[in-house]
Order: sequence, then C-alpha cells, then structure tokens
Amino acid sequence: MGELLILNGSPRAPRSHSRRLADLAAGCWKGNTVCRDILGADLNGLCAETGRASHVLLVFPLYADALPVPLLKFLTALEESPPQSRPVVSVLINCGFLEPHQNDVAVEMVRLFCRQNGYPLGSALKIGSGEAILDTPFRFLVSRQVRRLVRSMSRGACRTFSVTMPLTRRQFVSASTAYWLRYGRSRGVTKSQMETMDIEPDGP
Amino acid sequence: MENMTLIVSDRSLKTGLPDCGDTVLIDLTKQGIRNCMGCFGCWTKTPGRCVIRDDAVRIYPLIARSRRLLYVTRVRYGGYDVPMKTLLERCIPVQQPFIRIVDGETHHVQRTVVPKEAVILAYGTRDAEERALFRRLTARNARNMNFAAWRVVFCDETAVESQLRKELAAWENS
Ligand SMILES: Cc1cc2nc3c(=O)[nH]c(=O)nc-3n(C[C@H](O)[C@H](O)[C@H](O)COP(=O)(O)O)c2cc1C
Repeated sequence: MGELLILNGSPRAPRSHSRRLADLAAGCWKGNTVCRDILGADLNGLCAETGRASHVLLVFPLYADALPVPLLKFLTALEESPPQSRPVVSVLINCGFLEPHQNDVAVEMVRLFCRQNGYPLGSALKIGSGEAILDTPFRFLVSRQVRRLVRSMSRGACRTFSVTMPLTRRQFVSASTAYWLRYGRSRGVTKSQMETMDIEPDGP
Repeated sequence: MENMTLIVSDRSLKTGLPDCGDTVLIDLTKQGIRNCMGCFGCWTKTPGRCVIRDDAVRIYPLIARSRRLLYVTRVRYGGYDVPMKTLLERCIPVQQPFIRIVDGETHHVQRTVVPKEAVILAYGTRDAEERALFRRLTARNARNMNFAAWRVVFCDETAVESQLRKELAAWENS
C-alpha cells in the first residue's frame, strides 16, 4: 500500500465538512497518509507532494455545480508544473442538495483533468445532503461508504459510490428549513430576514 | 433598467460594443473579486448581502436584474475558468438558504432574480468531450441561476469578439 495524499479543496478548509470526511478516509487507509488543505497552501509545494504520492484523494464541496475555486487553481497549477510520476486520483465530493447525482458533473471534471493530463483514474464517492448529514443519525451511512471508497482505492479499482440522507424530498425540505432557521437564530437573524427578496438592499 | 442586457467577460474587448440601449458590460480583468469563503453570511448574517465588500457586490445585483445575460469565458476542465468561476461563487446572496423542489430536484429559493435568457460564449475548449461536459454544466446552472432559456456557443479564442457582436445583433433583431 503506497502513500495517500488527501487534499482538501474546501474554501473553508479548516472548518469544513470536507475536513471531517478527509479524517474519516485517512482513518481507513492502511498505509501512510498525509492531509493538506489547498486553501492558503504553496501550490508548487503541493504539486511536488503530488508527485511523491501513489494515490491522491481530492475531497471538496460542490460549488455552483462545479469544482470550488481553490481546487480549480490547484489543478491548473498541477497542469503547469506536472510531477514526473502521476498518482491515481480519486474523489470524495459533498454537496448541499439531497441528490448525490448533482455532483456528477464535478466528478467528470476531475476525470477530464486526469485524462487531459495523464493521471490514472481512481474511485469516487458522491455525497448528497453534505451540509448536515455528518451531524445526524445517518452519519454511519457516510462512514460505511467512505470505507468502501478507500477499499476500492486500495485495490486500484475505478468505482463510483454515492450516499445521502434516506429522506423524501419533502422531508429534506422541512429538515433543511429547520437547519437554516437554527443557523440564522444562532446569529440573531429571523426567518423573515432570511427570506428577504432584496439583493444588496442598501446598494453596494 | 427593466430590460437590461448584461455582458460579463473574462477578457477585455479590443473594440467598443455596438451602441445598444440598456447594455452593461463588466470586464472581469478590471475587477477585484475575492474567493467565496463559504461562510453563509449572505444567508444567515446579512441576508442578501455578501460580507466581503469588493467588486462582486456591484455585479451580482446586476446579474439578478438582467433579462439577457451573456457570459464570455474560457473553459477549463469542462467548467468555467477561474475568473468567471470566482464571480459565480460570489453570487449566492441572490438565493435564500431555503430549499424547494424544482423539476424533481432540491434547489434554493431565489430572491428577486429575473428569469433570463442566457448565452454563454465559451472559448479554449480542447475537444468534443470537454464541450459536452461544459454543456452539461450549463444545464445544471440553469436550474440554480434562473435561466429560462440558454445557449452555449463555442468559438475559437480569436473569434470571441466577432461572435459576441453576432450574438448581440441577434438579440437586437429578435
Ligand atoms: C458558494 C457556494 C456554492 C455552492 N454551490 C452548491 C451547488 O451548486 N450545489 C449544491 O448542492 N451545494 C452547493 N453548495 C453547498 C456546499 O456544497 C455544501 O454546503 C457543502 O457541505 C460544503 O462542504 P465543505 O464544508 O466541505 O466546504 C454551495 C455552497 C457555497 C458556499
């Protein structure tokens, strides 16, 4: 089992769900693991580290249906400073909406990067309801899929897994409404304030 | 400006735009826009307002108000390249945190965002696979960005300005 480099592409890396997912994955890998946040990192240093790993796991949130900017910048840097040896690249993505398939395009973007730049494709895990699931009783479903992802990576397989809360869309709408109301309340903001239809009401 | 046409371009245009009424041009090369930091302040602290007070806060209200929207962007790995993507991530103040069901999927409730006709003028793609992926991306964006209709037009980097003129002329004449 070679070295696994886990790269967290979240724009809020230190307090991200991606960080917690990265920790879960690191706990399942039998060999050495190194975890890095892309945010604020020296990208050239990360490119060099990428060349030393046998596997890379990109852990990130879906942003505007695609890769978040820190990850996009890192992949661009990697294309500009390619390491001599190319690790297998796997993906662990989470999105806010219920449906894991909303992550499909972003996973394909990483795969396209790999094909364009000669990186072997690894496995992928797509998580729906990622903003909340780790703090619900459904967390075990995520842990189970992360274990399957890591097992698949260590076998060198190219498989895709997905997981979300086992709720209907309507149940998810009410659960997420309660989630955001609690979030607002903790910052002293009411439902009607959060529901404002105004954008930059006082002008920029 | 009830019928505003907005053009957001990731490259400076060498020649001016044809004079067409309510058209606003944003040249991203001249804007200072920082990355979204995922704080959700625009939903839970100052709803409808981003907490980062840079040039993006002038642009997302224009995107929300536009009836016709034209993005000019380089494509990278089947998505928008960094300048356009940075702006798009900063646009979430136009949505509420609350979720609704749209076309059988969960999506956010929009604040006052005019349904729009969008054209994405995309350059720098490497092959058909990348173009197909970019089309899939814009189809997903349409649900989150209130595109009533949208089209992706791929062109060569050298042909961006002439293609832009064609698209604007087509809108003028429609
Ligand atoms: C700017 C921005 C854009 C987002 N875009 C999407 C999106 O297109 N689809 C989605 O399901 N979730 C979207 N989300 C939600 C995040 O994917 C979700 O909150 C995720 O759990 C964040 O993970 P992290 O803590 O690892 O950064 C977006 C969040 C932000 C801040």
